[in-house]
Amino acid sequence: MMCLYKPELQATAKDLDEVKALTKAGADAIVLGNQQFGNRVCGDFTLDQVKSATDWLHLEGKRIYIMVNAIFHNDHLKQLPDYLKTLETFGVDGIIAGDQAIFQLLDELNLTLPLTWNPATLSTNYQTLNFWHQRGLKRATLSNELSLDAVIEIKQKVAFPIEIQVHGMTCIFQSKRKLIRNYYNHIKEDYNPEQMRFIKEDKKDDTHYPIFEDGNGTHIMSNEDLVMIEYLDQILEAEIDGLLINGILKTKSYNEKIVSIYREAIDTYLNNPRHYQIKKSGWRQAIEDIQPEQRAMNTGFYFKEQIY
Amino acid sequence: MTTRQKPELLAPAGNLEKLKFAIHYGADAVYIGGRQFGLRSKAGNFTFDEMREGVAFANKYGAKVYVATNIIAHNENLEGAHEYFKNLYEVGVSAVIAADPALIQSCREAAPDLEIHISTQASIANWRTAQFWKNEGIPRVVLAREVSVEEIREMKEKVDIEIEAFIHGAMCISYSGRCVLSNHMTSRDANRGGCAQSCRWKYDLFEDGNDDDISLSEQADEKYTMSAQDLSMVEHLPDLIEAGVDSLKIEGRMKSIHYVATVVNVYRKIIDTYFEDPDHYQIDPAWIDEIWKAAQRSLSTAFYYNEPTDKDQLFGKPDRIPKYDFAGLVLDYDQQTQIATIQQRNSFGVGDEVEFFGPHFYHFKQTITELWDEQGESIDRAKHAMMTTKIKVDQPLKYYDMMRKQK
Ligand code: SF4
Repeated sequence: MMCLYKPELQATAKDLDEVKALTKAGADAIVLGNQQFGNRVCGDFTLDQVKSATDWLHLEGKRIYIMVNAIFHNDHLKQLPDYLKTLETFGVDGIIAGDQAIFQLLDELNLTLPLTWNPATLSTNYQTLNFWHQRGLKRATLSNELSLDAVIEIKQKVAFPIEIQVHGMTCIFQSKRKLIRNYYNHIKEDYNPEQMRFIKEDKKDDTHYPIFEDGNGTHIMSNEDLVMIEYLDQILEAEIDGLLINGILKTKSYNEKIVSIYREAIDTYLNNPRHYQIKKSGWRQAIEDIQPEQRAMNTGFYFKEQIY
Repeated sequence: MTTRQKPELLAPAGNLEKLKFAIHYGADAVYIGGRQFGLRSKAGNFTFDEMREGVAFANKYGAKVYVATNIIAHNENLEGAHEYFKNLYEVGVSAVIAADPALIQSCREAAPDLEIHISTQASIANWRTAQFWKNEGIPRVVLAREVSVEEIREMKEKVDIEIEAFIHGAMCISYSGRCVLSNHMTSRDANRGGCAQSCRWKYDLFEDGNDDDISLSEQADEKYTMSAQDLSMVEHLPDLIEAGVDSLKIEGRMKSIHYVATVVNVYRKIIDTYFEDPDHYQIDPAWIDEIWKAAQRSLSTAFYYNEPTDKDQLFGKPDRIPKYDFAGLVLDYDQQTQIATIQQRNSFGVGDEVEFFGPHFYHFKQTITELWDEQGESIDRAKHAMMTTKIKVDQPLKYYDMMRKQK
């Protein structure tokens, strides 16, 4: 029987070069944005660059989603309508947002930009997602703190495409405060915004949480990189629609390689699940080989119990 | 000159006793947690019977009871929601505070007449989002702690919805709901009540590319941390009132009776004083002193005026706040003999300087000169928890008045 299911392999990009490189490496869709409206974008795209990326991707038969996922304050709302209207004229394939103001805005401006609902940590159950679906979402990104079983149950109980992250670091904290700058002020050191930083838990030398500031505040990223390459069978079996590789704070060459590995793994599984089983440890090894020294790998919360 | 309605003073109540004190000391409404769907899993949480008693008590004062059902649910948490909301409605609470639309919807289906307020966990920070909820038929939103007084004013101008805003207490340094530090560091789900306060831990901060073994924090001899000072609007309350805030909210379902009574007492006094004569309103330093008697951390106005700086954070050792103990609860007072019956809450004795206080900012200090136990035997110290004592006092007292003592 012919399988109609075709997952979308998505990757974030920091600039036009990376857009092209990741597409050639096998991404079906590219995710990008500008920190003015997007949380944790990999690099700032001007509107002109968004247009170039869109045109280029569409020629290649690929899709583009724009991150508009900031937690909006009144000030954001002043320029947001124009931004959204422009994105619509570019014909981008969708916007990614997680603030309820977006429903209002799309309605009021009569825009047909497809909405991927992504409120970071708040996308945790099927009833909630069905609620937002009734308000207009077209797709939803699930929170990273869910078990794979919960993801699969959600997939079974909603009638629209869902996406999960399968690779890269995840955001574990967002503050509106400038928590790095404040610290530098406190210890009377000069703060260099270009400098990359990480924090370690006290007396836990093997921890490594990247921390950075952008226009939306301070973000802390996970201690490990999520690596789901060996569990794609379960994800693809459940017909999860979008698989995201988050390349934030990684080099272009790393991201390129990762995308190509996932591309190959997905295609292999869809063609012949048995071949996937044979080859998956090799892919895992290939990832390990290029993994930055400080970045441990794990499977996030997909197989982990949480208490509360 | 203002023609505003008095805003509601909303206080936390971790258990039935705290509920009674909060209301007796002047709260117009309290928020509590039940046994399910609430974030403060350790806050003592009410059974339905206790809620019923709480609602009956509140009704006598014309006060309201709200129930926090503010977890971000996973699939497995949804079960029982209908029945729970139905029960809450039958118990007679005035509203639930929710962030997860799944629970909002369950509540609507199970108890269509039960009011729903959107929790701060939803991080509502702009007027359109407030408008969204207004269009959904929601009468009130609790704002994100990241909004300024000016932003609130604009929201109130643009949207006809009740706004509830925090005025006092501890707070997340993250956007509420957007922090899963605990999930990662301790496997405890912060958005279902498991927060381990990881933001207040000590960390080492490193700069990439520099010598990996020595952190900046080590060089500076100052650990990296993200601990927020507590919020207090004690010196600025009229700004929030004038911006149009409908409900002024105090944080702290885990806090003591002494804390709740003290803080409520101060803000009640401020609101009432302001409304008596807004044009000539002046801060009384005694109110600020009083707040500090309950304060547990340094205080800040957080985002209300400026983006917070390092001065609004806590670094280094925990700061030393003069701490008072709740020494005793006044149960009775005999006018003739001027002797008060006092239930011991913390050790005190003859020679101690104590302070009595009660609702309406009633206060006096005295030294304990004569002390008896329940049998009328003269004693030196009241050492046993909850023991009944009698004290000769300088001024009249009433049930619910409290006695505190510096630690
Ligand atoms: S760790 Fe801190 S910021 Fe995070 S949820 Fe807990 S109290 Fe809030």
